[in-house]
Amino acid sequence: MHNKTNTPARSVIAAALALPGLLPSSAHSQVTAPNATLVQFKFLYYKDYQQSGDRMTVKSPALYLLTPITDDWVFEIGAVYDSISGASPYYHTTLSGASGKGIHDARKAADVTVTKYFANRTSVAVRGAYSDENDYRSTAGSVTIRHATPDQNTTFTIGGGYSGDSVFPTVGTPQTYYKRTYDAIVGISQVFTPNDTGQLNYYYAHQSGYLTDPYKAYWGVDNRPMVRAQNALLARWNHYFESADATLRTSFRYYWDDWDVSASTVTLEWAQTLPAGWVLTPGLRYSTQSAAWFYYDPVYDPILGAPFPPGYLQNPNGIYSADQRLSAFGAITAGLKVSKAFAGGWIIDGKAEYYEQQASWRIGGDGSPGLETFKAQMYQVGVTRKF
Amino acid sequence: MKRVVLLVVAIVLVAGCESMGKVQPWQKGNLAKPEMAFDPDALEARFADHTYFSKEAASGGAGVGGGGCGCN
Repeated sequence: MHNKTNTPARSVIAAALALPGLLPSSAHSQVTAPNATLVQFKFLYYKDYQQSGDRMTVKSPALYLLTPITDDWVFEIGAVYDSISGASPYYHTTLSGASGKGIHDARKAADVTVTKYFANRTSVAVRGAYSDENDYRSTAGSVTIRHATPDQNTTFTIGGGYSGDSVFPTVGTPQTYYKRTYDAIVGISQVFTPNDTGQLNYYYAHQSGYLTDPYKAYWGVDNRPMVRAQNALLARWNHYFESADATLRTSFRYYWDDWDVSASTVTLEWAQTLPAGWVLTPGLRYSTQSAAWFYYDPVYDPILGAPFPPGYLQNPNGIYSADQRLSAFGAITAGLKVSKAFAGGWIIDGKAEYYEQQASWRIGGDGSPGLETFKAQMYQVGVTRKF
Repeated sequence: MKRVVLLVVAIVLVAGCESMGKVQPWQKGNLAKPEMAFDPDALEARFADHTYFSKEAASGGAGVGGGGCGCN
């Protein structure tokens, strides 16, 4: 078949552009091996709090390296150290720190990904990840296959993963609990115009085992189902505005699971390129979620009082949770990132974000009553070098 | 109901690929800009995933095999 867009003149242009240095580096939807090494270091400072007191503080230095080993093998490694301290709620928004029991933990996590690129625009990425805390260990692995059409305008993604986790709480009788997660993804990325690219993913995860929070179970009331099936549809769209030399990145995710949680999340980022290598990126995120079916409001048993839900004595082994994260709320994040590129492939960046959860911000239903507003601040600084 | 709407959106998106996706290699200069990547900053994306995973009930959508944490 003779394709009318493949005229000899265009082929000559294409061939000329294919000479080293002339072809624009590949579009992000394509499946082509990267030809540059990228090293990135970031430091994250995270702090959350509510009206009655400060909650957790996390300091996380993190490192990421991506490097081509040969023309068609690429190696990636990531590592992070989380230093965690502060107070976590026993139940609802009642803090553990208020009774003098703060939490100190350190999480060390690393992951390695090896990707092989094949001549038929296919890549196979194999990833292994390990994460270790005082009371939690996770070992995960995954395989992701990507394949692009000959014009490199459409990319299909399919992947599967497994995570085997152990939980060994530092309260109560020493005991190890297990939980496992199988997950899968299918996706399609599409270049629509020279300035538009989109992506649609469907994600599924099946968790089983000990899904309860052991500390909330010990100090409060927490007993969750042994199985959780999670689904997410993620749609992303990026548009480049030539007149403004700016990029709008948008995403929408709809999530639902068999704990009756459904959530809708929208993100918007505007990356404004400025002279002298500066990029200014304001961002907004909104998320609204319903409560898990076994979440109970802070209305306690008339006889037992807090933290026991009404009717607890009749059903002490029932499924309950007072975890604020499983309540119904709306959440907003507002942030600003500033980055500057320097000669030699260096980039320095900083980002500040403010996050808040409020029952009254929920859309699509009522928010859970009686909880203190949850707030967080996040700050990041980073250095990246590409060569 | 929401699921049905999303499925329709998905089908329209996929069907749209047939007619719209005719961008030629020499037209991909803008698409190759770092800002046009879905996750332009690897560690920033990881921080965000990790934070929201530990503070909200919903997670997932961008990739597989993330591994868990005992995040409070």
